Amino acid sequence: MSRITLEKVCKSFGALGVLHDIDLDIRDGEFVVFVGPSGCGKSTLLRQIAGLDRPTSGEIHIDGKLVNTVPAADRGLAMVFQSYALYPHMSVRQNLAFGLENARMPRAEIDKRIAEAARMLEIGDYLERRPGQLSGGQRQRVAIGRAIVRNPTAFLLDEPLSNLDAELRISMRAELSALHDRLRTTMIYVTHDQIEAMTLASRIVVLRKGRVEQVGTPLDLYNRPANRFVAGFIGAPSMNFVKGTVVEAGDTATSVSLMGLSVAVPRPAAGVAPGQAVSVGLRPQHISLAGDGGDGVPVEVTLVEALGSETVIHGRTGGGERLQAVLAGQHALRAGESVRLAFAPADLHLFDDAGLRLA
Amino acid sequence: MSNRHEGQEARPARRSDGLLLIPVKAVMQVIDVPLRAWQRLAGLTGMASFFLLPNMAVFAIFVLVPFVINFVYSVTGGTEIFLDQRFYVGAAQYRDIFDCRSYLDPSTCVEDGFWVSTRNTALFVVVQVALMILVALVTALVLNREIAGRSFWRAVFFFPVLLSPVVVGLIWRWILQRQGLLNLVLYELFGFEPYSWLTDRNAAFAAAVGVTIWARVGFFALILLAGLQAIPKELYEAAEMDGTRRTRVFFRITLPLLMPNLLVVLVLGLIRSVQVFDEAYVLTGGGPGTSTMYLTQYIYEKGFASDLRDPGLAAAASILMGAVLVVLTLVQMAASRRNEKKGER
Ligand SMILES: Nc1ncnc2c1ncn2[C@@H]1O[C@H](COP(=O)(O)OP(=O)(O)OP(=O)(O)O)[C@@H](O)[C@H]1O
Ligand SMILES: [Mg+2]
Repeated sequence: MSRITLEKVCKSFGALGVLHDIDLDIRDGEFVVFVGPSGCGKSTLLRQIAGLDRPTSGEIHIDGKLVNTVPAADRGLAMVFQSYALYPHMSVRQNLAFGLENARMPRAEIDKRIAEAARMLEIGDYLERRPGQLSGGQRQRVAIGRAIVRNPTAFLLDEPLSNLDAELRISMRAELSALHDRLRTTMIYVTHDQIEAMTLASRIVVLRKGRVEQVGTPLDLYNRPANRFVAGFIGAPSMNFVKGTVVEAGDTATSVSLMGLSVAVPRPAAGVAPGQAVSVGLRPQHISLAGDGGDGVPVEVTLVEALGSETVIHGRTGGGERLQAVLAGQHALRAGESVRLAFAPADLHLFDDAGLRLA
Repeated sequence: MSNRHEGQEARPARRSDGLLLIPVKAVMQVIDVPLRAWQRLAGLTGMASFFLLPNMAVFAIFVLVPFVINFVYSVTGGTEIFLDQRFYVGAAQYRDIFDCRSYLDPSTCVEDGFWVSTRNTALFVVVQVALMILVALVTALVLNREIAGRSFWRAVFFFPVLLSPVVVGLIWRWILQRQGLLNLVLYELFGFEPYSWLTDRNAAFAAAVGVTIWARVGFFALILLAGLQAIPKELYEAAEMDGTRRTRVFFRITLPLLMPNLLVVLVLGLIRSVQVFDEAYVLTGGGPGTSTMYLTQYIYEKGFASDLRDPGLAAAASILMGAVLVVLTLVQMAASRRNEKKGER
């Protein structure tokens, strides 16, 4: 029912440009997550879509209709705010009913919708309470309920879970996911937590400094980050980057020397020449301890974090490059020790000096 | 959105702060010696009482003692000012005040002046407080919008609050009197004949109401403005998403959330209004006739200024007025306590 497209949307506050040429195509029923560091313009972008703010230039279409000048209330969208923004002096029931009363909906229909939302979100027991008498998680449900009763064509959620504690956040995340499966309504979700983005999204939009860095499915972004920023932003701990030099650029493989090794990445890199300096990315999860006799990079361990199921080691190579590795299971390692680390050439990512992906 | 409202960073300590602290610290160290010894004797809670003592003394000398003396006056009779020349009459002064054939008609009362000024005061309080809250609310709503020169306007509205009430009265008398600024302007612009505003019953009442509003509205608008700014912006955005009409936003969101502040404004305004004296006295002197004679002026003139002075009666009247103020103050305290309990919004 709701396809939202943005064309060259720009937004500035005075001289400060916050959004630059945002192009997006959000398909009906998608769960799209905007992710990016604090201050990159996620909320601003969401507010342009919501209609709480007008873009400086560019066009926003909902279902093919230009909505730039359509008031927020008439766009058929519902928003869930980070601070919940529940009306503090009204009961939960009144909070849910408020928007419906504005639309002059018959009482019976209002009651029906509230009952339905209350059942779905399990908030029926405290419909007569005020928001101040609810826990953070309960308030969050009410805020979502207020959006659901309006039966919107799309939900806009601005960091809805960031005021909850870690445990509750995980369970609410699962509930949101289930809710989306059930409603099949378009959802646009803002977060700066890349794990939330990975677990919830059908597609992720990575933003940086008001520009779209990459749009893709979670695994697209993880497996084929378009640039160094996305590579570093998606995945935790962050991808390692080391300096490398192209030795040979073939049609099926690219040979690179790095950390004193020469490896053949089994993918072609368009437009590279031997001798060219590249940045080589390697995820900590793709590093393992080198077996006896196998070759690997000698690394001096500087810190060991034993998490039980896995062990994170921080180390330094002879060339002074820092590496993090996530090793499965438990390892009796200590800071100051030397280890040899191994990786598969296929797991390497190559970026040019502008940070763009080569292979 | 909240990221823009994050608390300001702590002001970095400047060198001069440190320099200023040196003499302060020296003095503190000297005082410390006797105080420590005293604390050992008095204990920690005793110390708290000790520090409160100066304030208590001032309060006792200038409030409590006069209050008791005033009460003593109210049960004595005669025209003499010194207590030793007065005689005990019991509740006779109060009985005189309430000696009326009909409470609806002041002229049937023995102390008709008291009842006339009470009626004047009641009318003044109702009209002045109602209008003032309205003006303060509108002012606060306007100042809360992002208008050009907002802090300038805020200062403009607050400025009269800083003036002494007598100065306010004098300024406005100078404007409103027969040879005043208003008549001059009206004459120059429209050729109106000069009019004696302050000797016209209705105009004098309007002047008393208007001038006291002008003088105080900035203070009350500030209280309301603080309340408006405490309402989270997101609530308005949520209402916008909900498609709420502007009047409904005002009556269903702004007004209920402003209620605590409105209540404070109402009670403080009532208390201040009941006590009206300075501006009105300077402006009209209670005239024409007794049409702007308010209770405080009546008490003052009865006690000190008139030829037929009666300090006992004045004292009794002031105690009755005090009782009304105490009731209002209790209401205010109860209201603010209720607000505190609801504070987790
Ligand atoms: N009304 C405004 N006036 C001026 N600058 C603004 C305004 N709103 C946002 N900005 C600026 O725009 C930039 C992006 O803000 P935005 O709130 O969209 O960031 P965000 O990505 O949502 O960050 P966060 O993760 O911290 O919520 C920031 O630099 C912010 O200071
Ligand atoms: Mg934000």
